[in-house]
Amino acid sequence: MTSQPLILGIETSCDETAVGVVRGRTLLANVIASSVEEHARFGGVVPEIASRAHLEAMPNVIAEALARAKVDIKDIDAFAVTAGPGLIGALVVGVSAASGLAVALDKPLYGVNHLSAHIAVDALDSDHELEPVIALLVSGGHSSLLKVADLTSDVRTLGSTLDDAAGEAFDKIARLLELDFPGGPAIDRLAILGDPAAIEFPRGLTAAKDQVEHQFDFSFSGLKTAVSRYLQQTPTAIKADVAASFQEAIVDVLLRKAIAACLETGIDSLVIAGGVAANSRLRGQAQARAEKAGIRFRTPSPILCTDNGAMVAALGSLALTRGLPASTTGLAADSSSGIERVIWD
Amino acid sequence: MTISLSLDTSTSRTSVAVDDDGSVLCSLTHDDGLAHGEVLPRLVEQAISGLHIDQVIIGMGPGPFTGLRVAISFGQAFALARQIPWHGVCSLDAIGYVIGTKDFIIATDARRKEVFWARYTNGHREAGPLVGSPLTINNLKVPKYGEGAIKYLLTSELEYSYPDATVMSRLVKEGQVLRDPMYIRRPDAFVAPANVKFRPMNPMDLISVYDIEKRTYKIDPWSLGQLKEELAAAHRWYFVAEIEGKVVGYVGGLYVDGITDVLTLTVDPEHRRNGIARELLRRLIDWARTQKSVAMMLDMRVGNIEALPLYESFGFVAISQRANYYGPGIDAVVMRKELQ
Ligand SMILES: [Zn+2]
Repeated sequence: MTSQPLILGIETSCDETAVGVVRGRTLLANVIASSVEEHARFGGVVPEIASRAHLEAMPNVIAEALARAKVDIKDIDAFAVTAGPGLIGALVVGVSAASGLAVALDKPLYGVNHLSAHIAVDALDSDHELEPVIALLVSGGHSSLLKVADLTSDVRTLGSTLDDAAGEAFDKIARLLELDFPGGPAIDRLAILGDPAAIEFPRGLTAAKDQVEHQFDFSFSGLKTAVSRYLQQTPTAIKADVAASFQEAIVDVLLRKAIAACLETGIDSLVIAGGVAANSRLRGQAQARAEKAGIRFRTPSPILCTDNGAMVAALGSLALTRGLPASTTGLAADSSSGIERVIWD
Repeated sequence: MTISLSLDTSTSRTSVAVDDDGSVLCSLTHDDGLAHGEVLPRLVEQAISGLHIDQVIIGMGPGPFTGLRVAISFGQAFALARQIPWHGVCSLDAIGYVIGTKDFIIATDARRKEVFWARYTNGHREAGPLVGSPLTINNLKVPKYGEGAIKYLLTSELEYSYPDATVMSRLVKEGQVLRDPMYIRRPDAFVAPANVKFRPMNPMDLISVYDIEKRTYKIDPWSLGQLKEELAAAHRWYFVAEIEGKVVGYVGGLYVDGITDVLTLTVDPEHRRNGIARELLRRLIDWARTQKSVAMMLDMRVGNIEALPLYESFGFVAISQRANYYGPGIDAVVMRKELQ
């Protein structure tokens, strides 16, 4: 064993079968097999189809990750796996595979929280201080603003969405605009051609009265209704302008609240992670607005923002390095685990 | 000397065994249908302590999906980590292997008021595994074993209810090896692929139809002449499914006196499990309704027994069994669906 531990991480909470290998905070391999195309004709992820695809892809994805990292599986110091939250049938495939590896080689296994892992990926290939940090986590399954005192043990929710996740809003609007599933990348591409100021769509939960109870919460359902109504009433609607204006409304709300959270808590560091963090407008605007507010802003590279195994390995690596005990053999996947449960006992 | 680690999570029991060329070194079980993921790693850890393992053997089902995948995912990863081979076996075979009786049925619980089952003759699986209503196998007059048979009161025999992991290495030795999970039941969202076209059968199709007929029904396929007569005869309706201009399946019906008989429902073996038979049957039912049929009936050929769950899902009910209908030892099941 070299000075830095070698960790293999497995992620199967939704529709990507993903395995990553890291050494300490260095990324060695990140392999992702997605079943997204199989779900496309249903307009959303079908849990049973996702679970079958995970099982089918798993051995090859593990082997490919090891090959790309140029390591032997016997040299892995610890395994990590997403144990929740996510689709239960999908999680079970990953947790069982990770257990099989760990038991076969008699190595520790860390069951980790998917959301924390999204933030932990920020540790890779860099040596900056990781905590404290405010994290904006935005994807198809979650939209939360988190206060991170310790990535492996103390993550708290400041606010979250009251209805749709940000990524879901992208998917739904993409369907209204007759774009492809998943909707995020499709809207991002189309919005480049449009005018973000063309249509004034509502900014949910930003009114003065919302600052009391829902200061850091999100709501995107009103936005969805507004876009739908606009399209019905405007036969001459320019799709690119609708996409750009809708995207602007979401980006504006997300960043207003994220920056406010930094200022309110006195934490001058912001990380944006999750699938929606790959959105080019969000990245660009976040950089500009954070700079203006004197906040250090970071976001993982787009490939590390979507669900991946490297983020799971990254969190496992932090847990091992910081001396946390491994999870017990036969750890149970928990589809609805809260953010407080970072590493499984 | 080959030391095998055998795993099964296809029923409510988690089974783990280690044997050396058939002589059992360790056998552990735990009964809890909702805790396979937690139980299996612990049992394996206990079973293998200090042992060198040469191969992993995995029960590939059928079984409720989420539990079933625990052993498969764990076992494949274990084999990969140890760099040893893995082999899959049918979990129902691992129940039936030790039963001495000549003819029997193994039925496990498939949830949703259904069972996974297979029929064995002289120790060999002759039909199945299938998924279907317990009522269907209740009509088959042979002993029944397994968790599903107990649950639906088809047997009072409590022995031979679960896969026996200690015999799985012997199944592999006999060549009963699988690589893919036996899911049997499709995901709920499944629909026929978009590239399948449906249209009435015409005489140009007969050669292709005859070709599929021969490959499907080893015993007593319809001859080309019979097919030609059938297509030309009155009160009949024949429809085909085609993919890129090639016929891959067909259905035929006969309307007489208020009843539509399903004469045939056949899909090319290479295109099975694809939703095509379902689409064909749906169209025949529509036709039967346009004829003002009060009911539909069919005789189930044993060679076509895979279609049984499909008929059940459309509301066909087994009403009688005709012994030796298709020759000695080959029974027919008569099914009926009311159209009122
Ligand atoms: Zn995610």
